[in-house]
Amino acid sequence: MFVPLSYNLKSLLVRRASTALTVVSIGATVAVLAGVLSLQQGFETLFKETGRADVAVFLRPGAGSEGESGISREKADVLKKSLAEIALNAAGLPLASAESYLAVRMRKLDSGETNVPIRGVEPMTFEIFGDQIRVTAGQRLRPGTDEVIVGRKLTRRVRGCQLGEVITLNTTPFRVVGVFDCEGPFSSEIWGDLDRIADALERPVYNRVIARLKPGLDVQAFAERMADHKDVPVKVQTERAYLADQTGALSITLRVIGVFLATIMGVAAVFTSTNTMLAALAARSHEIGILLSVGFRPIPVFLSFMSEALVLGLFGGVLGILITLPLSGVETGTTNWNTFTEVAFAFRVTPQVMKSAILFALILGLFGGALPAWRAARMDPVEALRRR
Amino acid sequence: MPLRLIFRNLLKHKLRFVLTVAALGMAVFLVCVLRSLVVALDAGVRAAKSDRLVVQSAVSLFVDLPLSYETKIGSVDGVRTLTQFKYFGGTYQEEPGYFAQFGVDAGRLLEIYDEMEIVDGSQEEFARHRTHCLIGKVLAEGRGWKVGQRVPLVSDMFPRADGGPWEFTVAGIYRSRSSTVDESTLFFHFDYLFESVESGSAEGPNGAGVYAVLLEPGADPVAVMRDIDAMFQNGPQRVQTTTEAEFNAQFVTMMGNVPFFLSMIGGGVLAAILLAVVNTMMLAGREQTRDAGVLKSLGFTDGAVSGVLLTQSLIVCLLGGLLGVAAALAVSEPLAAVLGPNVAGFALTSEVILQALLISLALGLLAGLGPAVRARRLEVVEALRAEV
Repeated sequence: MFVPLSYNLKSLLVRRASTALTVVSIGATVAVLAGVLSLQQGFETLFKETGRADVAVFLRPGAGSEGESGISREKADVLKKSLAEIALNAAGLPLASAESYLAVRMRKLDSGETNVPIRGVEPMTFEIFGDQIRVTAGQRLRPGTDEVIVGRKLTRRVRGCQLGEVITLNTTPFRVVGVFDCEGPFSSEIWGDLDRIADALERPVYNRVIARLKPGLDVQAFAERMADHKDVPVKVQTERAYLADQTGALSITLRVIGVFLATIMGVAAVFTSTNTMLAALAARSHEIGILLSVGFRPIPVFLSFMSEALVLGLFGGVLGILITLPLSGVETGTTNWNTFTEVAFAFRVTPQVMKSAILFALILGLFGGALPAWRAARMDPVEALRRR
Repeated sequence: MPLRLIFRNLLKHKLRFVLTVAALGMAVFLVCVLRSLVVALDAGVRAAKSDRLVVQSAVSLFVDLPLSYETKIGSVDGVRTLTQFKYFGGTYQEEPGYFAQFGVDAGRLLEIYDEMEIVDGSQEEFARHRTHCLIGKVLAEGRGWKVGQRVPLVSDMFPRADGGPWEFTVAGIYRSRSSTVDESTLFFHFDYLFESVESGSAEGPNGAGVYAVLLEPGADPVAVMRDIDAMFQNGPQRVQTTTEAEFNAQFVTMMGNVPFFLSMIGGGVLAAILLAVVNTMMLAGREQTRDAGVLKSLGFTDGAVSGVLLTQSLIVCLLGGLLGVAAALAVSEPLAAVLGPNVAGFALTSEVILQALLISLALGLLAGLGPAVRARRLEVVEALRAEV
């Protein structure tokens, strides 16, 4: 016969102060893990879920990112115009464009400097991405002019990014004519005209070519063909794969930090909850004696105290999530060490994060309760009854 | 004060004592590591020398300065000597583990960075041979490299026309007396790189990266910075001259909110552990209610009675603090090796140790205060009647 759970719940209520302290200390531990995980989720979704599988990125062979890559103007023209794999727009033109890219030095609104990606684009770039790029204020840049549009996330972080302001690149002033928004890392970038940007930065070589692929294309085979192309060998990836490659270092760092912190804090939390459970047990020896003498077997008694520990863990887990929840959606920025540029992203307390947090809290409860429950189950009823 | 009573009380619940001290130890350990990380992040800023300037592109971290700038900067009043600094981005035989390589002026490097000291091999050998290099002590020890070791490096940024790796020979091993130069870098001849690109035996950008400038003794850095910046005001590449401290600081600000998050997590850890210790001390206080009554009736003052409880709390916390500091000291070297050049200068400073111990004492004081005050207020009769 099992000990009714209500017994454990009621006794948790009896020693309210100690229960609350245990729950809060488990909660704080869980909150740290959940906080770091939601940061990592926010970062990862920004890059992974927003990349398109039907857009190809062409880089110089061996280049790991567009910053390292370089494709000459002639080669870019060949790539844009001669590949049968690239989809056509309504006017029959290939949906392909060259891009130049450089992380430029800009001042942050608060203080210090940051590296902001500036991208030279062609009118076709907007067609490739379609509705994904939304101009939310002002207008789109006119081709061939010294106009730029800035990603929405920059307007709150970087100086000179308000509509109508002027951004000077080396010695050329560019006017901000629009603000655009987009899911994904583009929303932390500045976009200008391809050749005007290349001229201003004195960078005659483009960085990459992007293109919309025909539906149903075998990207793997295409990439293999292009790697061995005799005139224009290039590295081809889908945009999704490319963006996933750019997140490696930071994503792993965040995960390692999270696990490292959670492990050490978790062990400390197990120790402290063992402590409080043991103390609670000492105060309840008499009760345990009664339970055992009215016929409850040691195993149900063990399970009863384990479930009490699990309830404590569960409460701690829920509290931990509640502490983290207000963070959800809060935007922050750090440097993505793969590209050395600043990316802004939001904490995301996803169901995945919540699941991990609750699981972690239950494990804490389980470990914290094991020893006390074991002791309770093995008490000698006569001895226990004698204690008051 | 009855010291023996204090120790008896502490050891009455051995398991509880051990668990509390261990949990505290873990928290203090974490706080030490997190604090050291924050301190290490700007170690390069604090150690920076005031007689060194860095000239970099005003446009971007990724834009090189023209080679012609060397003589022009060298002619500015107050400039004693200078060297290029060109990031190479090479990898060693697909082996994991990153280390930085820079092309520099082999003859002037040690004059400008006088905190570098050759501990094996010789500077003359390095200066004499175009393909020789200097490596840091940490790098040499980590890889088991000796003077004479050949180091083949492949660089995505500078692919060689023959498809093979760049071959460098270790001419000397340096150590550094300051965190401005880290000990896991490889320095080689910039001229070797530049001539290879010039002659077509390698591809890559043909520029100098940044210039590190050593000032004449007594020169006014502000005036020199202003003069250098003014010289290139109208291009071709605008420059931004800063003190070494500011140059290093830009990499710290790139971390964005990371130092803040680390401090937040440290605070969370402390809050969680404070609650746990408070909980334990409250238990101990309640258990010793009758003892307090006995002590009082024997004639001990209120102060002595509450002192017993407060001292217990202080001892537990101090022991936990010492344990945590000891653990942090034990892992600080392996941890520094793991973090490597990513967080150069990671070390447990005496300042951090002192802070950690003070925090432990503060925790002890806070946790012991409640029970101590309660004990002081106890009525003797009431206390003797207590059941626990």
